[in-house]
Amino acid sequence: MSSALSISKIRELNEEYGMFYSIGDGKGLDGSRFHFSAKDNLTTKDHPTTAGSKILSNYRPPFDAAAVERLREAGGVLLGKTSMDEFGFGTFSVNSAFEVPRNPYDRDRSCGGSSGGAACAAALIDGHLALGVSTGGSISCPAAFCGVFGFTPTYGRVSRYGLLDYGNSLDKIGMLAADCATIAELFPLIAGADERDPTSCGHPPMGECRIPASIGIPSESIKGLPPGIRKSFDEAVTKLKDDMGIEVRTLEMPMFRYAQPAYYIIATSEASTNLARYGGMRYGARGKDLGLHFDRYFTSVRSENFGAEAKRRILLGTFTRMVGLRDRYYLRALQVRQAVIEEYRRAFKDVDAVLTPTMPFIAPRFNEVAGMSALEIYLADHLTIPPNLSGMPHLNIPCGYVEGMPVGMQLVADHWDEGCLLQAGMEWGKLFERIRPEAMI
Amino acid sequence: MDKETVRRVAMLARLELSEEEIESFTKDLGEILEHFSMLDELQDLDDYGFNPVEVIDVLRDDEPHQEIPAEELLRDMDTYEDYVRGPRLS
Repeated sequence: MSSALSISKIRELNEEYGMFYSIGDGKGLDGSRFHFSAKDNLTTKDHPTTAGSKILSNYRPPFDAAAVERLREAGGVLLGKTSMDEFGFGTFSVNSAFEVPRNPYDRDRSCGGSSGGAACAAALIDGHLALGVSTGGSISCPAAFCGVFGFTPTYGRVSRYGLLDYGNSLDKIGMLAADCATIAELFPLIAGADERDPTSCGHPPMGECRIPASIGIPSESIKGLPPGIRKSFDEAVTKLKDDMGIEVRTLEMPMFRYAQPAYYIIATSEASTNLARYGGMRYGARGKDLGLHFDRYFTSVRSENFGAEAKRRILLGTFTRMVGLRDRYYLRALQVRQAVIEEYRRAFKDVDAVLTPTMPFIAPRFNEVAGMSALEIYLADHLTIPPNLSGMPHLNIPCGYVEGMPVGMQLVADHWDEGCLLQAGMEWGKLFERIRPEAMI
Repeated sequence: MDKETVRRVAMLARLELSEEEIESFTKDLGEILEHFSMLDELQDLDDYGFNPVEVIDVLRDDEPHQEIPAEELLRDMDTYEDYVRGPRLS
């Protein structure tokens, strides 16, 4: 790795863009094989790990997450921890107790979320690999808004050991980079079984690498798109047909519209139980008065230190699991997930991959985000949720620009067939002219 | 969704909310649950799983080992003679 990149340059850039919550000393950077960052919900022994939450202020784990450990063992140097929505709860990376990352193409706009800092670092630092985490679209969304590739593997492909859980049956560790070849080269390092996470064991190896011969576009995914996004997407589809020789078909996937509510029920149900562990004793923020009864103590620490979105999701997840409501919400959501998986499987009998736009708009300005209701924000994820809910691997591919802001398309493959996505991304990278952000180093 | 339900759920979730928060969460959760009601249209689904892919049971060898020394785990905790301090139980 060239010595042109220095920690002082990164610190300077971070003043403007806020992509890192914590930056290391850069030891070993000169001459290293590659540099990378980790989203701040992945544990690291030499950096604090807060997941963007005040309740984990100053928490310094005694171990590295499996993905971080494996990249370090392969000669990677960890530059720092990237900023994010608290525990991954958000679409715009604004729900953080700490840094809010700013878009590399316009600092008044969001990077997307929740891996917003990761996407920003991937866009602005040449040759950088950012580890991100996706539960419902937290890699695809920021990758689309920041104009980089964002790869989310099949659920279970990468060990979640050392990941601060949001939704156990949904969380996936993936990668973001400006060049898909970086991901294709480094992803195998973190993939594969790890006995510390049983969900990573017993899966087939990565599929054979080939470009999909055919793709299907669900008609539901392109309805109501703003004209700029639609034009950009249509032009990209023409390029896929004409320049890459891919056959394109239209599909009907009617279960897509139910994926969004099902996702939020499962995600918040799991989150509300996962977040029960934060009570001010074992790590992070502590209460002021140990003389309080334990119920009062835990309640005071949690109420004082969780942000508004974390509280909203805890309430929602607790409600949907309550006696008498579980079948109406949680069980129905699990059934919808299965139906979405089956719908994808039917599609994969006809085509090798499914393509949609990634986000239904370009990165919004911060004042626009502030004016959105909670439901409007949840609805913004409707294109990234189906593959995330069903655990299908997917890749955001930068495909154009509207008003100078990046637009992305999302390619989805069957479980364990990640290879075809990365191959398609690399091939696309040779045809697509990326506009580099001015501030890039 | 009404304010009383939000108060009750918050108590179960060990959260104490201000009146302003209760007001705002009642409105938000009401809108969100109204949106979720579209799932009521689906009455003929049967299959479900708890994970999106098949997860096999994996057991480690039953050999005791400690990856992280106890003193490191205790480092960030409030301790007294190697015991973790906690709030009152009664």
